[in-house]
Amino acid sequence: MNFDHLHLLLNHVPIIGFFVGAGLFVASFTGNNDDLRRSSLIIFAAVALLTIPTFVSGVGADRSIAREPGVSDALVRRHEGAAMLGLWFVEATGAAALMALWRSRRPGGASRRHLAAVLVLAIVAAILMGRTGNTGGDIRHPQPGGAAGAPVAEGLVGSVIHVFEPAPDGFTDLMVANKWWWASMMVLHFVGLSLIIGVVGAINLRILGFAKELPVGPLHRLLPLGMAGLGINVVTGMLAFIGMPAYYAADIAFWFKLAALMLLGLNAAVFYLTGIFHRVERLGPGDDAAISAKIVAASSLVLWFTVIISGRYIQHFEDSLRF
Amino acid sequence: MSALEFLDTLERSGLSTWIRESESAFAYYFVLVIHNIGLALLVGACGVLGARLLGFVPELPVAPLRRFFPIVWAGFWLNVVSGVFLLIAYPTKALTNPLFYIKLVLIALGVVALRRIERQLSIDGAARDATPPVTRSMALWMLGAWLGVLTAGRALAYTATYILYGKGT
Repeated sequence: MNFDHLHLLLNHVPIIGFFVGAGLFVASFTGNNDDLRRSSLIIFAAVALLTIPTFVSGVGADRSIAREPGVSDALVRRHEGAAMLGLWFVEATGAAALMALWRSRRPGGASRRHLAAVLVLAIVAAILMGRTGNTGGDIRHPQPGGAAGAPVAEGLVGSVIHVFEPAPDGFTDLMVANKWWWASMMVLHFVGLSLIIGVVGAINLRILGFAKELPVGPLHRLLPLGMAGLGINVVTGMLAFIGMPAYYAADIAFWFKLAALMLLGLNAAVFYLTGIFHRVERLGPGDDAAISAKIVAASSLVLWFTVIISGRYIQHFEDSLRF
Repeated sequence: MSALEFLDTLERSGLSTWIRESESAFAYYFVLVIHNIGLALLVGACGVLGARLLGFVPELPVAPLRRFFPIVWAGFWLNVVSGVFLLIAYPTKALTNPLFYIKLVLIALGVVALRRIERQLSIDGAARDATPPVTRSMALWMLGAWLGVLTAGRALAYTATYILYGKGT
């Protein structure tokens, strides 16, 4: 499988997404444009999701490019370090944006402090994505005079950011050095799984007509609990990936799980952005949901169980991909 | 035949060997998938129920949550059955690990708390939605027990002294 092409296809998404998103977000404060602000928050959340396969496909690209002559290992490591720092800021911005969207539905909306936090995170994430893109571009197109194996010359901004960038191999070793650290991450990943499937499953089953005495609006207010589970699992999942990147990248079940997660993002977009949710939210005890809502609820259930099943099969499909 | 010899005999049986050693995707990892789905149903549904009983989203009526009990019990029995198959595959690994017995005790605690909550909700859950303090503490017991079961179950993978009869780690 050619992860080189997948990485090249995806890697513009976090960079352009965060530059456009941050720009729109800043613009939304002039004249307090709520629609613009909402759009930029949605962009942050969507890009945070797409950044996961972008990050992960980089390992595959690393493997295929490392065989080519003239590719500097130091430049590859530098790019990986930049990505490993930027990833967390992108995910944090996505999480803060989702919280702001959740709060904006309440009277008064998200607090100014909350929006300021999103702004700062988004700007830092945009800068770090720019840095990740530049260091990635340098791998194929090294700066003049930079012979393969020579120490990398950083500019002013680069040298400041570089202080905070982890050494990629060191980060990887840190994750797998202690089996109790690894075991704790796996326990948390299962706790997160339970929170997600409990909350999302209950909401979806109600929409499908199960436990119809439950009003949908209040049931849906459990969602922050499920989203906390998602947050736990993105963090523990990405840390596990960083611990054994080649193991996961060479596993077909892992990619299947990621594809299901991306489809879940699409499914959530259809649910919340097309008005289906607005109609479902008003359903009281005994009310029947529209067929469109039932289709989205059913696909959410199928996809979440696909995530669980393919995740559990990762060990079985070890080394199932060649690249 | 001593108890330890029994472990050896069990491990040599056709079913045990097949689950453990078959390359098929429907052997060991399939049992694990079922165990994982059971966990998702049991702990997931109990998590929602427990969160509501502890006062999360008070405007959500408690009584209809009884409908989720069949899902909870389906998850429970899926895990009893898949757990037995896992035990058949690796009897020495589980039975020589003290953590396995702690897990069984915690499962018992969780079931007792769950049964008491179920009975409480069927008696007066329909009449009123304010949860009595007893139910709240039961919810805490139940969530604590399932969290312990989950942690112990995961830790079993990392704490075995013997993997197979006569084979240490």
